[in-house]
Amino acid sequence: MSAAVAWARRRASAADAWRRLRRDRLAMTALIVLVAFVVMALIAPLVSDRADFDAINTGGNPTNSSPSGQFVLGTDGLGRSMALQVMWGARISLLVGFSATVLMIVLGVVVGLAAGFFGGWIDAVLMRITDWFMVIPFLPLAIVLASVLERGVGTIVLVIGITSWPSTARLIRSQVLSIRERLYVDRARALGAGKGHIIGRHILPNVTPLILANTTLAVPIAILTETTLSFLGLGDPTQVSWGGLLERAGTTAVKAGYWWEYLPPGVGIVLVVLAFTIIGRAVEEVLDPRLRAR
Amino acid sequence: MRATFILRKLAGAVSTLAFVVVFNFFLFRVVNKNPVDSMFRGRNLTASQKAELTRKFHLDGSKWDQFVGYVRQLLRGDLGLSFKGNRPVVDVIAEALWPTILLVGFSTLLAMLGIGLGYRAGWRRGSRFDTTSTSLSMLTYSMPEFWIGMVLLGIFAAKLGWFPVGGLEDPGSTATGFSKLLDQFHHMLLPAIVLAIAYVGEYMIVARSAMIETLREDYLQLARAKGMRDDDVRRKHAVPNARLPVVSLSAINFGFVVSGAIAVESIFSWPGIGQATYIAIRGPDLPVLQGLFLLISAAVIVANLIADLLYGRLDPRVVGR
Amino acid sequence: MGAAVTLAAAGSAVVWVAPVSGSSGGGTVTLTVGVTQDVDSPNVTVGYTVAAYELWNLQYATLTDKAADDFATIPGLASTWDASDDGLTYTYHLREGLKWSDGQPLTAEDVAWTVNTSRDQEWYNHSSVTANLDAVALDDVTVQITSAVPDPKLPTMDVYILPKHIWEGPAADDVTAFDALDGVGSGPFTLKEWKPGQEWTMVANPNYWQGQPKIDQVVFRVYTEGGAMVTALEKGELDAANDIPAELFADLGTQPNIVTVAGAQGGFTELAMNGMAGGIGDGHPALLDLNVRHAVAMAIDRQQLFDRVALGIGLPLTVLGVSPDQEWLPEIPDAEKLGYDPEAAKALLEDNGYKDTDGDGIREMPGGGEPLVFRYAERSEGTQGAAIRELITGWLKEVGIGTEVSVYDDTQLGDIIYAGTYDLFVWGWTPFVDPDPMLSYFTCDQVTYDADEAGYNDANWCSPEYDALYVQQNQELDHAKRVELVHEMIRMFNTQSTYVVLYHDADTQAYRTDRFTGWLQQPKGTGPVIFSNSSPTYFNLTPIESSGSDDGGLGTGALIAIIAGAVVLVGLIVFFAMRSRSSREDRE
Repeated sequence: MSAAVAWARRRASAADAWRRLRRDRLAMTALIVLVAFVVMALIAPLVSDRADFDAINTGGNPTNSSPSGQFVLGTDGLGRSMALQVMWGARISLLVGFSATVLMIVLGVVVGLAAGFFGGWIDAVLMRITDWFMVIPFLPLAIVLASVLERGVGTIVLVIGITSWPSTARLIRSQVLSIRERLYVDRARALGAGKGHIIGRHILPNVTPLILANTTLAVPIAILTETTLSFLGLGDPTQVSWGGLLERAGTTAVKAGYWWEYLPPGVGIVLVVLAFTIIGRAVEEVLDPRLRAR
Repeated sequence: MRATFILRKLAGAVSTLAFVVVFNFFLFRVVNKNPVDSMFRGRNLTASQKAELTRKFHLDGSKWDQFVGYVRQLLRGDLGLSFKGNRPVVDVIAEALWPTILLVGFSTLLAMLGIGLGYRAGWRRGSRFDTTSTSLSMLTYSMPEFWIGMVLLGIFAAKLGWFPVGGLEDPGSTATGFSKLLDQFHHMLLPAIVLAIAYVGEYMIVARSAMIETLREDYLQLARAKGMRDDDVRRKHAVPNARLPVVSLSAINFGFVVSGAIAVESIFSWPGIGQATYIAIRGPDLPVLQGLFLLISAAVIVANLIADLLYGRLDPRVVGR
Repeated sequence: MGAAVTLAAAGSAVVWVAPVSGSSGGGTVTLTVGVTQDVDSPNVTVGYTVAAYELWNLQYATLTDKAADDFATIPGLASTWDASDDGLTYTYHLREGLKWSDGQPLTAEDVAWTVNTSRDQEWYNHSSVTANLDAVALDDVTVQITSAVPDPKLPTMDVYILPKHIWEGPAADDVTAFDALDGVGSGPFTLKEWKPGQEWTMVANPNYWQGQPKIDQVVFRVYTEGGAMVTALEKGELDAANDIPAELFADLGTQPNIVTVAGAQGGFTELAMNGMAGGIGDGHPALLDLNVRHAVAMAIDRQQLFDRVALGIGLPLTVLGVSPDQEWLPEIPDAEKLGYDPEAAKALLEDNGYKDTDGDGIREMPGGGEPLVFRYAERSEGTQGAAIRELITGWLKEVGIGTEVSVYDDTQLGDIIYAGTYDLFVWGWTPFVDPDPMLSYFTCDQVTYDADEAGYNDANWCSPEYDALYVQQNQELDHAKRVELVHEMIRMFNTQSTYVVLYHDADTQAYRTDRFTGWLQQPKGTGPVIFSNSSPTYFNLTPIESSGSDDGGLGTGALIAIIAGAVVLVGLIVFFAMRSRSSREDRE
């Protein structure tokens, strides 16, 4: 089979998957919601200035005011626009969500590929480590890591990445194992192809859809973790994130009835996480025919 | 065969525990910039006491000496001293254990209602019941536990006043016997409901897919085709077979619920492991955090081991694998 | 299996409850107070938090007491005293039959031991009073106290008298290592239990010299957040609360059965800069330059902090608060005020060589090099730390000073301050009636050169001239002259920008009127009701008899909730029982 044919076949199957995905109305709605949030996060610096909600510049604004024409989502105790903070908070939440997922996928894929492809003692050692990380409860681990390391967005990304890669590694490994046994890899090997070639040309393209599905399901977990860590006070206090906004609102806003200070960031989290989950499941279903409806 | 299976699982659990210990040591004594300082920061320790503790924990020795000392100390059940009041970390944790066991236990029972929903949804896949409960599950799954807690606290405790704002019991309560039990139950209900809402979805989704998986089995298709009463097929054949993944989920979930309890307990000032963690984070009280991490990990490892063994008992195929 | 689990859980609940034995029936009268700050240490030679002071105020009586209305010196453990002709020696006559809460007799020997030992060992809580004193127990009820120098504070003797029979042992070894959980005292309430981070409980002392208190115990519950505390107060779960978040304060005052108090007692909130006296710690070198400290002071709009964070509760003063009495506070000339002037701050930094050479918006040390980035320690306790930090770090950035923020609880922040490993922190003080203790905290003697001998000088600032003035005022018997000296000291302190005093805060408190009467503001009309100078409220409180029904009994809401919960529980049991039955059938 020539490379061109294989490429065309893959493209065809991707197009087929996309066609099927497009028929899933719920997944499409979720995708639109998600795109809306990403766009919101991206354009935040274009339509506003970080300084607009810097506390030192908001002295003239009404404080703890309910939503109005001027402040669509009201203001907080220092007169900062909640709408702006939710917009900018989306940047950190999504940034952490995506970067942590990338880190986690990279770790998981590398370990999974190595274990599956090389087998033997490498496999045994890597899978042992994976099992360890799999069992260790993930939030307490993230908490101890975040308390020992310096506060900051980078730490949060690192912590989530380090604590959540094992399931990806396992998944990739099992896929690699099954692919490795397939004939054409044997044939490639017989033809004297290098390991790099086999991984790059045969194995990676085949596990890519799986990585994709895994990614869409990993991002919401990363976002939820960032939220929880920030809420517990382990986030970067100088950055605005959704979890940080909830921490600041705390029970004081709940008590005072300032719902605009704790509902919008929460709704943002729920919508983004829900959208990712729906899309992830839809992708999974498209890729795994067994999950398709009868 | 059976014995080797158990032994293998046991060895796995022990090695995981060992890994946690090594990891803990590495994190707090190697990555941490000033381990001596962060081990006993309390002002009310004299120089001689500090010197003695330094010797006891081998903080002046090589990393290997330190590690051996650390393991010895652990084996004695000594987790060091909390920065707050120099209390033994073991005491801090022991005090917080029961409230968390109660809260997590009760909320897990509540959340397990999701299993029933999941079976039903999986059985009638595509029905209105299925789509509704699946969507709801995904919705609650997407909510941070503590946010549910904030919202419910605002409505039911602050606005309606049905529940206390927090704590284990009324402050300074001297009630005994049944009224004390009632009081504590009253305090526990709202945080338990919050945790249950957060985790019911997961049980539901797993039970649903377990049921769907089971339904593919030929004999069930046959039983249904033969016109056996739907309910009977479900109860007598499908549910028992779909139970396996759910058992393991319950064990794995245990870790998540304990984790989820961290933020929820802090909102409701429920004096358990979660609130202890929250207070330690605000310190930051590193010895307590270290001890808590060790304890929670150990609990989860044991829960997983139990799940593995149960799984083996319920499904003989696993043992042979 | 499901049913078994349910039963096990229920069973464990019973087991868990059983060992907790309350006193017989619901007869215990409990006062519950909500706080946002925990005790750092119950040991009076170690602790420093306001929470710890409240504990000691209740646990330890003093030789002379302070009147609730006006702080006047009134009889305490001593019923009378006489002065010698030279005014240096006072003879205190103790009341007959005084006892510690554990039943041991409280004698002149306890007093003499406390005064002399605290002087010798320089207990930082006692030393500003006892440094120059020598006490001799003439007999069981007579103690003679002689000052080596003229002492304007005498005959007031408001240091905590400790039980010698408890403290002798620890003091012989190292008194700061003592956990002080003994709960033996002579005040109206003594410590029964301290659960760090959660609550501490104090029980009535039947041997209190004024008699048995009318309430049986006081529970102080620590809240990590103000909102939950206020809700608990409104719902009657608390009887009083301290440190109400400013934004909830006004509304709370309109609630039925609740009275709010903004109690002024000279307390203030400050931004402290590490002065690194004697080279201790590792503060930023730029902080040694007075110009930099002045620039920091001028970069901060303190009026705005008062308006936006304290919401105007308190006083917009920027001098060191040393007493609830305003006469001790000097008028600072405008030229020395170091008021908000970011342009002047920038110019000052620029002129002294702190320029932004790499264009990142943050200045560097003269000649390039280490950037002007200060470590900023924020409190996690209390309710205003985050808002103050948002503003101050913003303003500092405006003049080209960067910050790195870390958050600590009060115990840890104290340790970091003692170690000198900080650049800036924001915290507050509540002074005593006499200005002497507060002034003493900034003497060179109080710098923590060695962590084992911790002092109160948290800015690590040391000035021989200031110390000389301190000694002078400490011995000046002419009141007007003493006021002059104190004014001079405060002005010097201000000019050195050791502290940037942000504002004088009032203690935002609230109490319920439906369960207890007898709340006392100290001083009358303007002071706080709890966490005041000598905390007279607690002993003065009387439970209101008629409202007995709301104690113990549960409201309708509670009943609904409990019934709902019970229904769910029963439902669960039935559900799991049926499931396990069905699976048994299946097996047969």
